[in-house]
Amino acid sequence: MAEEFLRIEKLVKAFGANQVVKSVDLSFNKGEFISLLGPSGCGKTTILRMIAGFERPTSGNIFVDGREITNLTPNRRNIGMVFQAYALFPNMTVFDNVAFGLKVAGKPKAEIAPRVAEMLKLIHLEQLADRYPYQMSGGQQQRVALARALAPSPRMLLLDEPLSALDAKIRVSLREQIREIQQNLGITTVFVTHDQEEALSISDRIVVMNAGRADQVGTPSDIYNRPATRFVASFVGTLNIIDATVVDPAANTIRIGDGVITLREPIGALKGGDKVSVALRPEAGSLSESATGDTALTGTVVSSHFLGSVVRTKFDVGGNQISFDMFNAPDKVLPQPGETVTLRFAAGDLLLIKD
Amino acid sequence: MKQNRLWAWIIIALAAIYFIVPLIATFIFSLRMRRGVLSFDSYVSVFSDPRFFSSFGYSLGIGAFTIVLGVLVVVPAVYYVRLRMPWLRPVMEFVTLLPLVIPALVLVYGYIRLYNSSSWIPFTGSVIGTDILLICACMTLALPYMYRAVDTGMRTIDINTLTEAAQILGASQWTILSRIVFPNIFVAVLSGAFLTLAIVIGEFTIASLLNRPTFGPYLVTVGTNRAYEPSALAIISLLVTWGAMGMIQLLARFAPKTARKD
Repeated sequence: MAEEFLRIEKLVKAFGANQVVKSVDLSFNKGEFISLLGPSGCGKTTILRMIAGFERPTSGNIFVDGREITNLTPNRRNIGMVFQAYALFPNMTVFDNVAFGLKVAGKPKAEIAPRVAEMLKLIHLEQLADRYPYQMSGGQQQRVALARALAPSPRMLLLDEPLSALDAKIRVSLREQIREIQQNLGITTVFVTHDQEEALSISDRIVVMNAGRADQVGTPSDIYNRPATRFVASFVGTLNIIDATVVDPAANTIRIGDGVITLREPIGALKGGDKVSVALRPEAGSLSESATGDTALTGTVVSSHFLGSVVRTKFDVGGNQISFDMFNAPDKVLPQPGETVTLRFAAGDLLLIKD
Repeated sequence: MKQNRLWAWIIIALAAIYFIVPLIATFIFSLRMRRGVLSFDSYVSVFSDPRFFSSFGYSLGIGAFTIVLGVLVVVPAVYYVRLRMPWLRPVMEFVTLLPLVIPALVLVYGYIRLYNSSSWIPFTGSVIGTDILLICACMTLALPYMYRAVDTGMRTIDINTLTEAAQILGASQWTILSRIVFPNIFVAVLSGAFLTLAIVIGEFTIASLLNRPTFGPYLVTVGTNRAYEPSALAIISLLVTWGAMGMIQLLARFAPKTARKD
């Protein structure tokens, strides 16, 4: 059984009348890479800052490794943090930046130099030890910031949107590097991001935040394939939200346009004629020539867009505009507007959405 | 367009004449001590007067203590207001402007009334006490310049994030101020320091009423008793001020760079 490392209990943070974190309970295991994912203003950064000690919770508790740290000052928490704006000390060289935490901790010089060298090797910047921050690119600065955070061997690592200020290519390579380093060191890491692709690609688990609450906690696969709420479904990935009407709750059948579809999951306490929302990923399905069935939707093509590796087609089914993606191929003929198409998918791909 | 540029040059030339001609006139006058020839006799006379060195040295000493006091008061104050109480900034702006509005005479009368030898805190009862009072008064006079210099310096760095980055690495408030904040605003502090020095060197009212032998009262005494030496002293004072400004420029080259190359 995994060992619990970071526990957040009924955490609340209010700025005046504005409650930005609303009684959040979370528990993370040792060595886990957790992403707090959500739009701006959802409270993810506030939670991170409360873990770091920069904000004091209005109520609730934070425990690290079984010890309560809620009221400890940041400099007594032994936590490493990387900031969005790099926050390297401009008056210090790379070496001095990385050595700062060790010097503050009173480590002897003989210990500091090898540790800094080890950290610079970890981020592949050994040759830049004498450079100043202004002499480096954003990506290099952020790697130095990571080395600086890791140098004093912190108990856990906090990453506050560390990739947001970087260009797309560097962002991808740096996130892979961060994940590799985190796995090698086995350090518990909390990563704040609003970029779902980033969160999905490097996390062990994701916490999807919405309006101060944790809507869903799960593995990237869970979050993407089995979103718990309409918000999670719409925020993570592209999703078709389709309005449907319950036909027979006992048989789990619903009506979308003229077609009746059987859901895999139980409809629950709804009765015939009730309105429900179901979700379907654009990539979950393929065009079919055959007649409609219980896992197919037939509609009229509204538009087709070439997006490089995929072609996205939008078609109308009983007033619902549904997008679906197909892989591009040189000889592929795009469905034309006005054409009737049938999209076939697995019954499990259609998810009942709870609001 | 060309017409506009011509007018701009005319205005610049007029302004230059307005500022430079009196300086040249003063300089030439200071060289006329020996009848019929231009000489540096007035400068020799100034430098051979022991009161020049004693008053200038004394003012430099007062200036140094004023700068230290100013830095110790202003840097932490500006830092904490920017970090924790940004709503207090307009109040700080107003308070630091007061020395420009309230005459030095009012300030020194207030000091003498409050700290005279028969008061509870008799600063004027001893030489050291009066010197302390003079340093405090000079710091107050230099406050508008020191505050603005330091505030501008802090505006160029992300003080909040740097503080948080240092805190999470285990640094105490003192470590953050001494090793992160101060080195990064060093040039700003220097410019404030040189402005403070210039004010202290030329200060007359407070030093005179506190009866301290600074350079200001010496300048006035020489000015009333001699003809050519005051002009020589004016030129020397200007050179000292320009030297201080040159030092700011020179030291700015060694300042930590904060520009980011993304």
